[in-house]
Amino acid sequence: MIFEDAETLHMYVEESLEHLANIETELLEIEEAGADIDEELVNSVFRAAHSIKGGAGFMGLSNIKELAHKIENVLGMIRSREIVPNSNVVSIVLKSFDKLRDLINDIENSNDIETSEEIVALIGLTTASLPSNQKDIVLNMVDIFTPNGKKVFTVSQFDVTQAQKQGKYIYLVEYDLIKDIHQKNKTPMSVITSMQNSGIIMESKIDVGAVGSLDADVPMRIPFLVLFASIIEPDIISALVDLEDKYVHTITENLISLSKPENETSKEKESEPEFSIKTEPEIEPEPAPEVEIEPEPEPEPEPIKPKKEPKKAVAAKPKVEKVTPPKQKNKPVETIQVPEHEDMEIKTHEDEKESSMEAKSAKSSATLRVNVSLLDTLMTLAGEMVLSRNQLLQAILANDERAIEISSQRINMVTSELQEAIMRTRLQPIANIFNKFPRVVRDLTKELSKEIDLNIEGKEVELDKTIIEAISDPLTHLVRNAVDHGIESPEKRRKAGKRQTGKVTLRAYHGAGQVNIEIIDDGKGIDGDKIASAAVDKGLLTEQQVSIMSEKEKTALIFLPGLSTAEKVTDVSGRGVGMDVVKTNLDRLGGLLDIDSKVGEGTLIRIKLPLTLAIIPSQIVSVGKERYAIPQVNLDELLRIPPHLVKERIELVGGAEVVRLRGNLLPLLNLSDILDIQRVFVNPEDGKEYPDRRKKIADRRSKQSPLFYGNNENDEKEKNSKDSSDRKVSDRRFHSNSAINIAVVSAGAFKYGLVVDQLKDSEEIVVKPLGRHLKGCSGYAGATIMGDGRVVLILDVAGLAQMAGLSSMEGTDRVGEAAKLAREAEKDKKDRASLLVFRIAEDEQFSVPLSLVERIERINASDVEHVGGKRVIQYRGGSLPLIELKEVSNVKPLPQRKQHEVIVFRITGKEVGLLATPPVDAVDVSVSIDSATLRQPGIIGSAIINKHTTLMIDIFEVVKIMNPAWFDEKTNEKIMSRKSQATILFPEDSNFFRKQVKSFLEEDGYIVIEAIDGKSAWDILQERVEEIDIVVTDLEMPNMDGFELTSLIKNDERFSHLPVIALTSLASDEDQAKGKAVGIDSYMIKLEREKLLDCIKEYLSSK
Amino acid sequence: MAQTPKTYNQPKVLKSQSQALEFATFYIGEALCGIDILLVQEINRQIEVTCIPKAPDYVIGVLNLRGKIVTVIDLGKKLGLSPIRVSKYNRNIIVNSQDEHIGLVVDRISDVIITDSSKIEPAPSNIGGLRGKYFKGVYKTDRSLIGILNIENVLKEDSSNPVNIAT
Repeated sequence: MIFEDAETLHMYVEESLEHLANIETELLEIEEAGADIDEELVNSVFRAAHSIKGGAGFMGLSNIKELAHKIENVLGMIRSREIVPNSNVVSIVLKSFDKLRDLINDIENSNDIETSEEIVALIGLTTASLPSNQKDIVLNMVDIFTPNGKKVFTVSQFDVTQAQKQGKYIYLVEYDLIKDIHQKNKTPMSVITSMQNSGIIMESKIDVGAVGSLDADVPMRIPFLVLFASIIEPDIISALVDLEDKYVHTITENLISLSKPENETSKEKESEPEFSIKTEPEIEPEPAPEVEIEPEPEPEPEPIKPKKEPKKAVAAKPKVEKVTPPKQKNKPVETIQVPEHEDMEIKTHEDEKESSMEAKSAKSSATLRVNVSLLDTLMTLAGEMVLSRNQLLQAILANDERAIEISSQRINMVTSELQEAIMRTRLQPIANIFNKFPRVVRDLTKELSKEIDLNIEGKEVELDKTIIEAISDPLTHLVRNAVDHGIESPEKRRKAGKRQTGKVTLRAYHGAGQVNIEIIDDGKGIDGDKIASAAVDKGLLTEQQVSIMSEKEKTALIFLPGLSTAEKVTDVSGRGVGMDVVKTNLDRLGGLLDIDSKVGEGTLIRIKLPLTLAIIPSQIVSVGKERYAIPQVNLDELLRIPPHLVKERIELVGGAEVVRLRGNLLPLLNLSDILDIQRVFVNPEDGKEYPDRRKKIADRRSKQSPLFYGNNENDEKEKNSKDSSDRKVSDRRFHSNSAINIAVVSAGAFKYGLVVDQLKDSEEIVVKPLGRHLKGCSGYAGATIMGDGRVVLILDVAGLAQMAGLSSMEGTDRVGEAAKLAREAEKDKKDRASLLVFRIAEDEQFSVPLSLVERIERINASDVEHVGGKRVIQYRGGSLPLIELKEVSNVKPLPQRKQHEVIVFRITGKEVGLLATPPVDAVDVSVSIDSATLRQPGIIGSAIINKHTTLMIDIFEVVKIMNPAWFDEKTNEKIMSRKSQATILFPEDSNFFRKQVKSFLEEDGYIVIEAIDGKSAWDILQERVEEIDIVVTDLEMPNMDGFELTSLIKNDERFSHLPVIALTSLASDEDQAKGKAVGIDSYMIKLEREKLLDCIKEYLSSK
Repeated sequence: MAQTPKTYNQPKVLKSQSQALEFATFYIGEALCGIDILLVQEINRQIEVTCIPKAPDYVIGVLNLRGKIVTVIDLGKKLGLSPIRVSKYNRNIIVNSQDEHIGLVVDRISDVIITDSSKIEPAPSNIGGLRGKYFKGVYKTDRSLIGILNIENVLKEDSSNPVNIAT
C-alpha cells in the first residue's frame, strides 16, 4: 500500500459509494432508451466510473482501477454510439458495478478479489463492437515515457486512441505530494477532482521509485504522476494544474510506444519530439522498493524509444520485454508484456498479494451527511440552551422564583426544538432503498420472463436512518413476492384479458404522523380460501375457526408462522424468508402491515411506520418493584376492572383467563407470570405495597366457558386452575378492593390484555439499546432512563406474547367464541352505545360517544394560558386549544380547581381539549335519547345514565362555533357535493339516531330518504331505485335487519350496484365477517360523523 | 511517507517481550484476579440496578451510567466461581468491551500492580477447559497468585450460559 492514510482512504470510499448510489437507476434508464442515447445520462455514469478510477489509481487500488477503467471504456463507447446499450450490455455493466461496489466495500482486500470474470465480459463488449481491424487496440498496451526516456505508465492503446480521436492532448503531469499538494494546503482528492473537471485522468500513480533517486537534488520529493487527457491547449495547461512548466509534459506520439510487438497500428504518426530525450540507458539505478503496488517496472531505462527508431516505434518493443523480465527475478509479473488481459489480471493479483496492505479500518457507514442549514439551526439551539442554563443558574442563585419559572419554560421549549432538529438530522429519503428496486425488478422479470412496469412514487419521503435500514429487507421481500407470485406470466395475463405488462407500484407518503408505504400489484391477488385451506391442511387452524373468518382475515393468514414454508412446496410463496418474518420485523419497528387483495385484480400491501424510533411516547406501568414502559403504538387502551366486576368481566376459557371487552373476549397475560416477578398491590387502607399471592386473577366464581372445558390440550392448565381454586380457600384475596389493571396491547396479529400491578403516567422516552448479554431476552425492546435516573425496561409486546406461548390464532379463536356469547347478550339490547360520562360543574352530568375521544389528560390549572382570547395549554411541543362548554352552551361553569381533566378530541385533523371535572367514566349502556327537551347549541339531547339526567354534547357543533375556520375546507367540499345532490337511503329504527345522522347528512348536502326498518327500506327501494345513490343502514332493526336487507340488495341485479354502508354501535369482528359475506361494503360507527361522511364521499366519487 | 499511518489505540497485549503492564486487582471470594488497567473505564460503588427478569443468571441488571445503559454482571457467577456476596466493599468495575460498557461486580478491590509481561506465566494446565480460556495467565507475588483475566473471553456470550427464555 502506498498510501496508509486511513482518512483519505475513508474519504475515497465514501465518495465512491456516493458515486455508485444512483448508477443503477441511470443505467436502467439508459437501457430503456436503447439506441436513442441520452448523453447527459451516459456522461453521468461515465463520470462516476471515472472518478472512482482516478481515486483508485492514487490510492494504489489497482483492482478497482482496472475494473472501473474497463467499465469506463464500455460507457465511452456507448456515448460515442459504438455500442448500443441493450439489456445484455447493461446487465454486464450492472454486474461490473456490483463488483466494483463489493471491492470498495472491502477496500482493504480489494486487490485480492477476483475480478477477471467481469473484466473479460467488459472486454468482450468493447472488442465485439469494434471493426475487426481495430479489435487489437483494445488488447494492446502502450507504454508512456517521460521526455527523459523513463517509462512511467502502461495504458491501453484503446484509451490513447480514443482520446486522440476526440482531439484531446495527453499530458503527463507530475505533482509533488509534499510541495505541490501538502504545502499548498490541498488534498490529493481535491486535485484529482479539479482535473476531472477539465479532462480525463487516464492513469495515475505515485512514483515511489523516484523518491530515492531524486533526493540528491530535490530532497523529499514524492512525485504523483497523472496521465491526463484534456482538450486544454498545451500553453495553458500548467496554469490549470498550478505547476511549473517543467512538471507538465505533453505526451506526443514519440513518447508512446506499443508494448506488444505484433501490432502495427496505423494510428501512430511520426512527429518531432518536443522534448529532448536522453538516449543513454540507465538514468537511475532504481532501487525499486518492494512496497510498490503497481507492478511498476523499474525505471529501468528502456533503451528503446521512439527516437532511436525514427521509422516505427513498434520495432523497438521487443526489447522492452527482454530487458525487464529478468530484472524482476523474484516477481514473475510484468504487466506490460503479458499478451492476454486475463492473464495479466491474475498475475497482478499474485503480485499484489505480496504487498497486500495491512488492514486498517476504512469501513464507512458510520457517518451521515447533514444539511448545513440544519446544522446551523442545531448550533443556534445549542446556544439558546446555554443561555437558558445561564439564566437558570443566575435565577437559582438569586432565589428568584419567577425567573426560575421563566427559564425553565424556555429550557422546555428549546429542548423540544432541539429534539426535533436532531431528529431531522437522522432522517433520510426513502429513495435510498427505493432506488434499488428497479434493478431488483428488472433482474427478476428477466429471470422469470415476465413483463413488468415498476412505478415508484414518493421517493422524497424521509424516515429515520435506523428504520430505513431495517425495512430494506422486508420491503425487498414484499417486492419480490409481488413480482414473483403476484404478477402472472404474460400468456396468463393475456388470457385473463389483462394488459400483458404487469404493473407494480411502490408508493411512500406521509399520513397521520406516520409514513405509509404501499406495494401494489395488478397480479392475480391472494386467494384467501386457498390459504385458509392450506392452513387447515397444515393443522394450523381448524375448519371451524376458518368458517367464521372474513376474507380479509383469511388473506392475513399468510403472515401465520409455519404457513409460508408449506406454501413453498406448493409454489405459492418462496425464498426461505416467509411473510411471517416480514411481519415480525415490521412489528419490531412498531410498524403495521395491512393487506388487501382481490383475486384476479391484484394485491395492495400497506406498511405504516413511525417517523422515528429514537423517542417514543410510552405508557409506564409497574409490576413488583420495577417499572416498565409500553410503547404507545402498541397500546390500544387501558382497563381498570373494579373488584366487584372481576367476577363478571374476567372469565376462564379452557383454563386461560380472558377479559370481556365490549362484547369481545380478550386473552389476558400476566406480566408478573411471564417474567416471574413477585406481584405487589397497593393496600388502599394504608397506601403501602404488599406482595400479592393470587395465582389467578379470575375469581373462583367466574364463569367457565363450557365450550372449552375439559379440552385435552388444556388439561394441564385446567389442573393448575383447580389447584389455585383450592388454594384460594386459605390464601384469599388480600383485600377485596384490589382492582385489576390491564393494558390492552396489540402488535400485528397479537392483541391481548397485559395485567400489571399499577398503571402510571404516559411519558416520552428515549430508547436505548440493551447490552449484548441481554440480546436473548425477547421480552424487551430496549431500555430507557427515567427522570429519577433509574433504568426502565421497554416491553416488546410481540416478544412477550411469544414467551407466553400466545399465538395470534388463539386470539381469533377466543374472539370468535366471544362474539357468539356477545351476540346472545346483545339480542335483547339495542342501540347500545359506549359513552364517556363526566361532569363540568359538580352537579351536571355530560356525555360524549367514546369513539370520538382520543384520550384524557390531567392538567394543572396553572398551566392553562390565555392567548389571543383562547385558552391553550402547551402539550407535546405544541399548543392544545381548550374549550369550556360554557362558552358555547348554557351550562354551569367549571369550578375552580387545581387540576382539570381534559378530554381530547380530534376534529378535522386537529386536536382540541374539552375541560371537564371528574368522575370521568366510560359506560356501555343502552340509552334512549331525548333530542327535544334539553336541545341547545352544543347539546344534541339528553338521556338518563346511571340515574342522572345526562346532556349529550355534540362536539362537532361546539368546535364549529368556537373555531369556524376549521370547517372552511369542509364547507367548500360541501358546496361541491351539493351540485350532485346524491341521495341516501337510510333505514334506522331508533328515532334518536335517525334524526342525528339524517341531520348531519343533510347538512353536508345529501338528500336523505328515511325508513324505519329494513322492510320499509326495501319497499322504498323498489319504487324509487333511480333516485338512490347509496344505502346507509342500521344493522339491528325489527322486521328486517341490515344483513337481510343488504343481502336482498346485493342479490338483485337492479340494486346490486348500490354501495351499502352499515352503521352500527358495536362492530365486532364476527359481525363484520357476516356483513362482508352478505356484501356490506363498509362498516361505520354511529355518530362518527367525520368518518361516515368521508366514507360516503369516497363511495360516491368512485362510482 | 508524507503522512503517518493512523493506528487505533489498541490495548497492549502480552505479545512483546518485557513490556510494562499495570493490572487492577480484585477479589472474587478468596481468589485474587486482575485485569489490564487500560481496559478499565472506571470503578465505582454503583450497584443499585434495575433487575432484568428472564436474563441470564450472571446478569445482575442494568444501570444508568451518565446516560448509558450498562449491563452489570456478577463476575463470580460468570467465571463459575462463588457468586458475589453483598457487602459494603462491593465495587463495580466498568470496562469497555466491543464499544459497550459493562459493569463487573467484584467482592472487593485490591491494589494496582505494575509488572512486565515476562513475569506473566501461562495459566496452570489444570484450570483447563471452559474456565481456562478466561485466564490469560497468572502472576506470582510474594504472598499470592493473581489470575489475569482475558476480559473479551469472559464477556463472550457463549452457549454455556444459555439464556432462560420460557418456551
